[in-house]
Amino acid sequence: MTTEVSVFYFAKSAELTGLKSETIRVASELTTVELWQDLVSRHPRLSAVRDSVVLAVRQEYLALGDVRVSLRDGDEVAVIPPLSGG
Amino acid sequence: MAEAEGDPRDLVKLTHDKLSVDTVSDSVTCPSCGAISIFIGTTRNSFEGMKVVQLEYEAYIPMAESELRKIYADIRARWPTVRHICVHHRLGVVPVTEASVIIGISSPHRRDSLEAVQYCIDTLKGTVPIWKKEVYEADESCWKENKECQWT
Repeated sequence: MTTEVSVFYFAKSAELTGLKSETIRVASELTTVELWQDLVSRHPRLSAVRDSVVLAVRQEYLALGDVRVSLRDGDEVAVIPPLSGG
Repeated sequence: MAEAEGDPRDLVKLTHDKLSVDTVSDSVTCPSCGAISIFIGTTRNSFEGMKVVQLEYEAYIPMAESELRKIYADIRARWPTVRHICVHHRLGVVPVTEASVIIGISSPHRRDSLEAVQYCIDTLKGTVPIWKKEVYEADESCWKENKECQWT
């Protein structure tokens, strides 16, 4: 099963991919590290920030690792570099 | 009635416009409150000896708003007398010395709003998806990292 999701890139990750957002088709059941690896396969330069990012899925933070996610059509995924607001 | 005590207000604005302390202050004013505590975060002109010529902010806007509302819920649980809460955060290019964030919180007595404002800015820096890029002389730039951010 695959599903179509919107991926948003911010800060350094947007510079590395050259994109603010894109729509991709991915497996609907996977771990956050598998989802990350899928993004890196599309944008190899992302691997430079592997140790400093987390993901957000449906606008909730998820660490990269053995964390299972179920994606549905239209879900939002975001690559979240270290925060620097305020 | 202007004097009527309405519901507590939880106000959020992410904007490319210049921020106004008066607007934030007015938005949390209430007749039963003896204190309005305001924090203004401003943009610095140097970093480790390098001259900062420009700062740029970007946000994951809907998630930033939802993370701010989580902070507001925490504040209301910890300081139940807090009346109104307002955060305005600037986005886009911010000239040096201008405000990047203004927080206003009102409460009947000063201790609660003072503590809540400190909690609000400290937590914002660690949980709200907003990013700042400093642009230096000689065309260099750097995405900053808050020490409050938990995963770096």
